[in-house]
Amino acid sequence: MLTRSPDRVALTGASIALVSVLFLPAASLRPNRLAQGVAHSWLEAGPVLAIPVLALLIALFSAFIGTRAVRGHALSSTGVLLIGGVAFSLGSLSDSLLAKADVIARVSIGSGTWLTLAGAAIIAFSGYQALSDVGRRGGSARTRLLYPVFTLVLLGAAVANGGLAEVSLAVEYGIRTTVFWPAVGAHLRLAGVSLMLGLCIGVPLGILAARNSHVRRVALGLTGIVQTIPSLAMLGLLIAPLAALSAAYPTLREMGVRGIGDTPAMIALTLYALLPIVRNTYVGLAEVDPAVVDAGHGMGMSRAQLLWRVEMPLALPLVFEGVRAGAVLLVGITAVTALVGARNLGSFIFEGLGQAAPDLILLGALPIIALAIVADIGLTLLANAVTPRGVRSA
Amino acid sequence: MIHLQGVTKRYGDTLAVDELTLDVAEGEVCVLIGPSGCGKTTTLRMINRLITPTSGRIMINDRDASELKAEELRRSLGYAIQSVGLFPHLDVAANISVVPRLLGWDKPRMRDRARELLELVGLDPEQYMTKYPSQLSGGEAQRIGVARALAADPPVLLMDEPFGAVDPLNRERLQGEFARIQRELHKTVVFVTHDIDEAIRLADRIAIMRDGRLVQYDTPEAILDSPVDHFVRDFVGSDRALKRLVRVPVSDVMDTDPPVARRAATAEEMLAEVKRTRFVYLVDEDGRLTGWLDRAQLKGGCSVEDALSDADPHQVAVAPDASLKEALSRMLGLGFRSIAVVESGGRLVGQVTLGSVEGAMTDSDDHQGAPVAPELDSGDLA
Repeated sequence: MLTRSPDRVALTGASIALVSVLFLPAASLRPNRLAQGVAHSWLEAGPVLAIPVLALLIALFSAFIGTRAVRGHALSSTGVLLIGGVAFSLGSLSDSLLAKADVIARVSIGSGTWLTLAGAAIIAFSGYQALSDVGRRGGSARTRLLYPVFTLVLLGAAVANGGLAEVSLAVEYGIRTTVFWPAVGAHLRLAGVSLMLGLCIGVPLGILAARNSHVRRVALGLTGIVQTIPSLAMLGLLIAPLAALSAAYPTLREMGVRGIGDTPAMIALTLYALLPIVRNTYVGLAEVDPAVVDAGHGMGMSRAQLLWRVEMPLALPLVFEGVRAGAVLLVGITAVTALVGARNLGSFIFEGLGQAAPDLILLGALPIIALAIVADIGLTLLANAVTPRGVRSA
Repeated sequence: MIHLQGVTKRYGDTLAVDELTLDVAEGEVCVLIGPSGCGKTTTLRMINRLITPTSGRIMINDRDASELKAEELRRSLGYAIQSVGLFPHLDVAANISVVPRLLGWDKPRMRDRARELLELVGLDPEQYMTKYPSQLSGGEAQRIGVARALAADPPVLLMDEPFGAVDPLNRERLQGEFARIQRELHKTVVFVTHDIDEAIRLADRIAIMRDGRLVQYDTPEAILDSPVDHFVRDFVGSDRALKRLVRVPVSDVMDTDPPVARRAATAEEMLAEVKRTRFVYLVDEDGRLTGWLDRAQLKGGCSVEDALSDADPHQVAVAPDASLKEALSRMLGLGFRSIAVVESGGRLVGQVTLGSVEGAMTDSDDHQGAPVAPELDSGDLA
């Protein structure tokens, strides 16, 4: 099948990338870690720049031509190649800039690089989407998975090629290798445990809300109010009572309950996770066809049998949707809890803000964004997997 | 079998059901009917305790229903409702097996039973066992709803407008199948409907309700012949003679020796084979109806091709278990004086003529001893 209209999404991505390559600074050279830098353009990266430019031109071209399958493969591969090419060019640019500069000079990644990468991601995504749309003719799901793998390989090669390790972000990482991965772990642990607690409290609360209108009003009302409290205010509110509790009961203190640190963080995060989970559990159960419930009762199912064999399986996709929303929310708010002394990726952000070191902020922010995206995709896939076959659309 | 004794249901100040006393004998179909809000569904739902009566007693098989555990009581009473309520996340086999699973049957037994029931309700097990409710038409879902109610072979079936949500043609067919199944299984059935034709066709006894009270409880014939008051008379309608036809299956009055011919090459051959009537049914080697022939046209010099009409059995024939009323309305609709009777396989088994319909009406009136003249000449047939 020939497609007549050009792929608008891919064209948007390619335009963003093109403008960024031509007009925005690829990197800035700063005399030291904190000083203002001087912007440098892509043109200084040298001959390796040919790779991203070529990829970009092919992407622009292939947005107009071919069957959906051919176009999908062309866009996916050029998107991936563009990401790799940018990484190589950045390494090469960083090498050439630092060669002429002082030892304490730093190369920071410029807006042009970020936006080119964003454009490349859009191109690759539109190609991936086109392949998913044509289904089997776009290759099996496993074939499509090659593109993300290929991206990682190219990025690895770019790192190995050198130059990237001298970019300021990598230098900040290099200084903090020993604390970075524990911080990622702590971040995941705090968000994950709070999400689990939210699930353990939220699902039963949602079930009760679906059964009883009083519980519903109170539960949805309270969790709604919690959601409107700014996270920083919530953490502040928790400090005093927790500190008092800890002081009054030594056993609690020994268990680690204190006004600052992980305890208030976990309580606040659990409360934030409740609203999407309670609401979606309630809505999922309330949306079950009353005729189905009546038939179940009339055939002699007990309340528990009806709940676990019929209502919950039917509500499960919505419950998971709530868990997904909660997970993305928690990954973000966990960063804020670094302010009350919970050590996690948020610590880098606030440290960076304190030192006015933008690359340190990025060292905290970028992994948080990545974690949120991974949680989002992972839980969406899980929600699809738990959707019963008979109710799956298409 | 089922005995309701002074059963009352009160919601605040309103009486939904008022001192209802009703007996349903074993193997009988009792149809509860009345205008909406008359308490018929409430009555049905009190029998399986989905609604608790305010007062009164309900005995099922000589046991007080209120003394049994509600879940166990319901598992012993088949339950089918208008909106069907199939479980969307389970396939057809699992949907039919809901009650057997609650009763702890083993898997092979549940599968065999599901197959058996699909065949009983006229669906091919190979094709339907693994389908999901979202892949079924309304009529198929209703059939599976009935199969599910029958799954654990309960002696009692409770049905709340089970054919209410399908189109008239399908409803007619489902009613015919239900009547056939009931002749086979002899369940004790309590059936709620607001469709008087359905009630007359399926009931052994009809309970007409109004404002929570039982107005008349009798056989369909008795209710047609001697309604107790104006309400029942109005409810049954002015076309009572015609309604009586609903009670008579086509197979009771059909002519089992219709004029039949095989399709032959020339007009002479076909004319030789056909003597008696103007229209002749054409069948193939297996006796399946393929069309009919107009002798008048053939004699008038038309070619065989012109005098032939191809038949779609669904359009120009009725099933043996269809009601005489349906046969009559089909004849009137098509402008025919007779209509073919065709088995589910397509085989021609007889024909019904306007004359035989008229005969059936007179018969039943004679049988009931009711006056004939005022009902037949009042324009009911127009």
